[in-house]
Amino acid sequence: MSLEQLNANSFEKIIYDNAESCLVIFSRKSCHVCKEVVPVLEELQLQYRDRVGFYYVDVEEDKNLSQRFSLKGVPQILFFKDGEYQAKLAGAVDEDKVIDKIAEVLES
Amino acid sequence: MKREALTQKLLVLGVDGMDPKVTRKFLAEGIMPNLQKFIEKGSAREDLSHLGALPTITPACWTTLATGAYPGTHGITCFWRQSPKSLDAVVYNMDSRNCEAEQLWNVTTEAGLKTLVWHWPGSAWPPTSDNPNLNVVDGTQPGSVNMGVAQLDWEKVIAANEEITELIYAPKLERPAGTGCMISDLSAITEEEEEPATDMMELWYGEAAMTGSEIREYIMGPENMEMVIESIPHYDVVNSPLKNAEGWAAVPADAKEFTILTSDGIVRRPTLILKNSDGIYDRIAIYKNKKAEKPIVVLELGKMVSGIVDDINKEGVLKPACRSMKLLELSPDGTSVKLWISNALDIAQDKLWHPKELLKDVVENVGPVQPVSLVGGEDAYLVEKVYEPAWDSYCQWQAKALNHLIKKHEYQVVFSHLHNVDCAGHMFWHLAKNLERWSYTDPEVNQNFIRKFYIQTDKYLGEFLHLLDEGWTIMILADHGLLVGEEFPPQIGEYGGMNVQVMEELGYTVMKKDANGKTLKEVDWEKTTAVQTRSNYIYINLKGRDAHGIVDPADKYELERKIMSDLYSYRYKGQRVIGLAMRNKDAVVLGTNGPQCGDIFFTVDEGFSRLHGDGLSTVEGAFDTSVSPIFLAAGTGIKENFTTARTIRQVDIAPTIATLIGVRMPAHCEGGPIYQILTEEM
Repeated sequence: MSLEQLNANSFEKIIYDNAESCLVIFSRKSCHVCKEVVPVLEELQLQYRDRVGFYYVDVEEDKNLSQRFSLKGVPQILFFKDGEYQAKLAGAVDEDKVIDKIAEVLES
Repeated sequence: MKREALTQKLLVLGVDGMDPKVTRKFLAEGIMPNLQKFIEKGSAREDLSHLGALPTITPACWTTLATGAYPGTHGITCFWRQSPKSLDAVVYNMDSRNCEAEQLWNVTTEAGLKTLVWHWPGSAWPPTSDNPNLNVVDGTQPGSVNMGVAQLDWEKVIAANEEITELIYAPKLERPAGTGCMISDLSAITEEEEEPATDMMELWYGEAAMTGSEIREYIMGPENMEMVIESIPHYDVVNSPLKNAEGWAAVPADAKEFTILTSDGIVRRPTLILKNSDGIYDRIAIYKNKKAEKPIVVLELGKMVSGIVDDINKEGVLKPACRSMKLLELSPDGTSVKLWISNALDIAQDKLWHPKELLKDVVENVGPVQPVSLVGGEDAYLVEKVYEPAWDSYCQWQAKALNHLIKKHEYQVVFSHLHNVDCAGHMFWHLAKNLERWSYTDPEVNQNFIRKFYIQTDKYLGEFLHLLDEGWTIMILADHGLLVGEEFPPQIGEYGGMNVQVMEELGYTVMKKDANGKTLKEVDWEKTTAVQTRSNYIYINLKGRDAHGIVDPADKYELERKIMSDLYSYRYKGQRVIGLAMRNKDAVVLGTNGPQCGDIFFTVDEGFSRLHGDGLSTVEGAFDTSVSPIFLAAGTGIKENFTTARTIRQVDIAPTIATLIGVRMPAHCEGGPIYQILTEEM
């Protein structure tokens, strides 16, 4: 199942107004590493249904968002809980790393 | 011989950059009534000045004030120290371990006197003695308490209106006056730069600098000069949509909302725009989130609120931090809003407090350390609405903190420093004369800002007047003054690094060039015979001493003669620029000899001096300004309403304090007490 894409306005609503526990991957269509990481998240989101939201931001379509988080490269996975930024993972990451991070910051 | 103390309690009120000449102008205008009272109750020269040490640079002069030794003797000869490895680099120097002269507070504490050294930017940190009588707060940078170590988030201007469709955050934007705070094209202003942007605070006073990293700054042209850099304010800009409030737990009818971003853009604070009983929108309430019951703060239009504590998110860790905020604009119909929020200071950062409990004491009894503002420069709107009021608020916090500590801890000697005037001077004093480069600014407006900063200082000094009735002796003094420049100067004598232009024109410093003849930011050491670094120093590129030395030691003397001759002959706009130039050994007459003073010491002549730091301590500028530092003393042991004609040297102040408080002279002291102002014949 593909990840729900966010734009600047839906980002505000979901991350902050709804204060969901979630992760957001910032990526770009032409990025090779992103093409490896995104499917990992697509798989994982099924395991976390109703507990953790999985979202996607295209940094080319929403430059403001990547600017706001001072992201210098992609992919980067940002973790949010209670409307607060918690942590991020950068670059090529595998399933275990994401699971560990979710446990550490979203389910602790 | 043991001397009797003339006073039991002595407070030094240091005001960085306070110039006696412009002070007298403002006294005559009647806008400094508190200082007038100090003068009437005490002693000073008629012109209120003292003869500052050279160079007229902050840490050098504060160290002279603390030790009674000349900079050549104590070894703190500029903001930075020459790098031991490279002629073109400097290293951090606001470290007490670099000071080779004994500080007076070591003497007072050894004599059993409880002493507080508060943000003294010259050889105070790390604490210079483990004597429990010595308490020290910061002193690692000249700005404000904790500025170098507690900053968690930068200053921001937030603009919101109904036309903005999405939330935009642009960090550390250069905003020359007149560009406003609307971002029309984010990509146009945030293109990747060739070199990573460097934050001056981080570069100069950051962790790397403080642990000895080399700082390699070349002043290649006007754009690298401090007065040009500091004129242009930098701040984060947030543009937010503004709409009817929705999704809140509780919200009054007709409330509108917009969003503030903090924590480098990663934290969002929803904000309500609220009406008063007349139906006019006149305030905003900032919330942690839309479900929160109470706001973090309510801001009324035009009122600066300080001491606001909110969490800052640093890499996922929440830290409570203190901010000031001001609602700058709000349209009565609530459709457009603009506010400023200060940088955020970690309220628990105690690493520069000795003992650490002092911070807790101040936070609990006075309030968290307040941030100041560093946005202003050529933007008169920001200077008036933000920069000056933020400093005023900080001054009041500092006065309260000092008064609290003095009362509670029963200090007998207090050395304190305040940076408001100097900080403002670096931002806009040069705009108080209409120089061509800043022809779009208004000198009169900026002259009035100078006035405001002196009024602010007077208010601060007034907070200590009561101590005169409680047996205290008070000295009001500065390290140097600040002048309003008569001319835009050539690039020599700029303290921030290696000055290229004049030395390149004279053929001593040679820069490498690329295939197209474009000058590179790289010294050609094979052709460079001398460089000019820091405020007033020229170093010969000497074989056997310097890493890339090419000058034979046998030729050094003649080369120095030639350089000095060329410096005197150098003309800028037809005028001589260099005041004095002398060999290191001869500079003993100025107190600027010895291993930290280069091979040649020179000064920039009156007329071409910048704000301070490049010329003699007696130079004067436009708008009745000068680089002389102020000195006056009042209270127990000091003659009342007394004027002395004596020349008071900066090295005389520490021995005067030692005499008043009845302790021995600091070990390397080169001055003598100002006998004439003391109540007791000596």
